[in-house]
Amino acid sequence: MSKVIRTVKNVTKGYSTTQVKVRNATSNDPWGPTGTEMSEIARMTFDTSTDFFEIMDMLDKRLNDKGKNWRHVLKALKVLDYCLHEGSEHVVVWAKDNIYIIKTLREFQYIDEDGKDQGMNVRVSAKELTSLLLDDERLRNERKDRKSWKSRVSGIEDY
Amino acid sequence: GSTRNVDMSRSESDLTINIKKATNIEETAPKRKHVRSCIVYTWDHKSSQSFWAGMKVQPIMADEVQTFKALITVHKVLQEGHPITIREAQNHVGWIESLGRSVIGEGMRGYGPLIREYIHFLRAKMQFHRHHPEFNGLFEYEEYISLKTINDPNEGYETISDLMTLQDQIDSFQKLVFSHLRHGLNNECRISALVPLVQESYGIYKFITSMLRAMHTTTGDDEALAPLRDRYEGQHHRLVRFYYECSNLRYLTSLITIPKLPQDPPNLMSEEDAPPAL
Repeated sequence: MSKVIRTVKNVTKGYSTTQVKVRNATSNDPWGPTGTEMSEIARMTFDTSTDFFEIMDMLDKRLNDKGKNWRHVLKALKVLDYCLHEGSEHVVVWAKDNIYIIKTLREFQYIDEDGKDQGMNVRVSAKELTSLLLDDERLRNERKDRKSWKSRVSGIEDY
Repeated sequence: GSTRNVDMSRSESDLTINIKKATNIEETAPKRKHVRSCIVYTWDHKSSQSFWAGMKVQPIMADEVQTFKALITVHKVLQEGHPITIREAQNHVGWIESLGRSVIGEGMRGYGPLIREYIHFLRAKMQFHRHHPEFNGLFEYEEYISLKTINDPNEGYETISDLMTLQDQIDSFQKLVFSHLRHGLNNECRISALVPLVQESYGIYKFITSMLRAMHTTTGDDEALAPLRDRYEGQHHRLVRFYYECSNLRYLTSLITIPKLPQDPPNLMSEEDAPPAL
């Protein structure tokens, strides 16, 4: 059902193909983002600057979403992590300039109706990403060598 | 440019709502999402003026829980906000002090002593930052500061002892918070004040450790540094105890990771030990 609504929203709100791709990869579905989705988005960060900014704006929106949409936040962190490795250098600059967006997610809170702490995954991912962004050498090396980080950010299949 | 695409016209009114919600009358922790929005605002606008202005129009002095939540919120924004926040905060110390007049004695719900001690601590923190503007709100480790310190051992000595004074103040405040936890009651609001204290004390601890190590290496004057070493050891043991007590509060451990310190203080005169992990 949520998928149908999203498709309708994509049309009525006039989202571009690029925006739709990011929205789908960071949706509330209990699976994904897949490796294919992430590598496609990362590749698009090399395209026009319009594409780049559309991707970053959409990720930014998702990162600042409310607790109930913790999957948006978590998946946006995963996609950003992936793009930091495989995307254009502009992604690195953007993330460093806006590191406070990620840093402040290290205390993200959300307890669902069943009393389950769904914020945990976000907190762990935000911590991981913050320390990566603060370590220039590690990021440079990981951008050169896929193997060292691939297992960490590979497609997430199920929550 | 690579800055965020922020809707400046909306963000001002959003800030007001976030401040209002962070400091509402419910006896809970200030909600992280509202505090986070205040923090993010200071970075987006590179200014905290609207945050202070927004705080001052809230009726927080009418209720002790609201006053306490406002102090926690201010503390978090000082810690994590844009560095300009700490500089601009110097103009609002008087306002922070005035919050102490809102509650007489213990207060209806026992927040009186906590509010007064929090104000006392924040005043000390502001004073520290006024004298040492090179530090950020969480005392996050910056290599250049310890290098700068070693060039002038006298200045380094003074900085370390000022940091230790602040650490002692955190320690007496945390003890007061623990002594005000009420058995069988929801202590969430009181416990949430421990979050910034754990983070700040750990930042200070890491700083002091690396600065003291560096001072021992460069000056080679172990005798002159003995008083600082003694004080450091005392603080280490108190911190171990503080973190141990925090680790027994389930609500707290679900909010943050409590740092783990070795039982014994690290040897400051040897370079063999790795510095404590960040």
